[in-house]
Amino acid sequence: MTTAILRGAGGELGRSVAAALTSAAPLLILLALWQVASMSHIFPPQIMMPPADVLHTLFKMAQSGELERHVSDSLFRLTIGFVIGAAAGLLFGAAISLSRLAEAALSPLFMTLWQVPVIAVVPLLVMYLGIGESFKIATVAIAAFFPVAIATFDGIRGVPKAWFDVGRVYRLRLADTIGLILIPATVPAVVTGLRIGLTRAWVVLVATELLAADSGIGQMMEMGRQLFQIDVVLAGVIVSGVIGFLIDRGARAIESRATRWRTA
Amino acid sequence: MSARSLSRGQRIAIGFVAPVILIALWQWRAGSGNAVIGMAPPSALFNALGEVLRNGTLLADASATLTRTFVGFFIGASLGTAIGIATALFPLLNRIIGPALHALRQVPMIGWLPLIALWFGSGEGAERIVVCVAAFFPAMLNSHAGAAGVERRFLDVGRVYGLDRLQRLRFIQLPAALPLVMTGLTQSLAFAWIGTIGGEILMGANAGLGVTMQQAQMQQRLDIVLVAVATTAALGFGINLILQHLRRTLLRWQPVLP
Repeated sequence: MTTAILRGAGGELGRSVAAALTSAAPLLILLALWQVASMSHIFPPQIMMPPADVLHTLFKMAQSGELERHVSDSLFRLTIGFVIGAAAGLLFGAAISLSRLAEAALSPLFMTLWQVPVIAVVPLLVMYLGIGESFKIATVAIAAFFPVAIATFDGIRGVPKAWFDVGRVYRLRLADTIGLILIPATVPAVVTGLRIGLTRAWVVLVATELLAADSGIGQMMEMGRQLFQIDVVLAGVIVSGVIGFLIDRGARAIESRATRWRTA
Repeated sequence: MSARSLSRGQRIAIGFVAPVILIALWQWRAGSGNAVIGMAPPSALFNALGEVLRNGTLLADASATLTRTFVGFFIGASLGTAIGIATALFPLLNRIIGPALHALRQVPMIGWLPLIALWFGSGEGAERIVVCVAAFFPAMLNSHAGAAGVERRFLDVGRVYGLDRLQRLRFIQLPAALPLVMTGLTQSLAFAWIGTIGGEILMGANAGLGVTMQQAQMQQRLDIVLVAVATTAALGFGINLILQHLRRTLLRWQPVLP
């Protein structure tokens, strides 16, 4: 009995390992081709660098603490900017969804400003704030503000009126109506908005760091480009991809936890 | 209570209050000698607009930016749609290139810029490639999802009618994938637009709204920056409207989505 279960588990494990291998194999073959192509010196080393060398550079930068400095600077900006932008978005979204007067007064301006791509505001912000930290944090905050505000607005407006009627039947106090009905009902939409805001904020942050910064993943890539160090550029591409992936996955995991009650 | 009973006219009038106050405040502050705002009171914007309209830069910039967007979108989105559908139809192809594409997708689109600039210089070609890359992924992801998620019963009906592979593609898989393909195209045009502006600001080659923004920023011409930003917003809004209209026309047969 036990052996059967063990064997069954082993088979399952073996199968998942095999599945992982088959999905990783093409990627490994691609990497091998890249390695061979760059070692054959068809392309100059400034254009094509073997993946092993890129990994080596990545390791060296990680050991010297340079990578850590860039990553922590980028994540610091992302965190501060996102918290400011998301909080403002939550407040604004709640205000225009709860008060019709606020909606009438502010939503036309909001919708007009929403048409401007965040990246297009970058030159403007540079003029106002210079190229220091505040400019980067402001850009990240703006990138996070709009998706969160829209999602909060949609979330609160989307709560069925019948739920409030039930609350009225139970004679809930205002605080309880907010705590027991409004907030739980809007959490899924808001969390989705926060996730979208966070991923956008990351993309915009990398762009602003490319443009003007003295540290950060974007600046690391830009310096690599100016110095023709393609290994540094590629290391930056890899790191920014991994961070973007982790942010997205983490946010999705939180999102599916927050929306669990829906399917239950 | 009173807010609920606002008439349409009143609502529109209230909507103008905040912008008018903002503009008045801005004009007033501009007179008080603030260094940055002082460069461009709202009244100066019309002069700037007149200036760039007369010397033709605005028109040249807008057409250069739009050309870049649409050329990049056309190449990137058609490649993306083709690969998305192909990987949905041929599982083997999906196994081979799928993981690599999903790994590449994780890099923020602007993150490709330094690499592309290194490989192709920072000229027109590099800028178009950035737009292609930006337009590629949304088109690929959505068309893959659309073609892979065709309802079983549609395929069963096809089998009953004895359709061959090509007929199945033509009459079942492509039409069923169309709504998501359209979603992908909409998204990828939006990405192409942002990618174009971003690429122009960061690489600054030739003409373009982003190039002008960046140059005006360096010359401390706030008025020109604002005119370029407003033009960008207006064009983006216009592109959005056209897409929504196109979507409605192409997907007429679809029942209204909930």
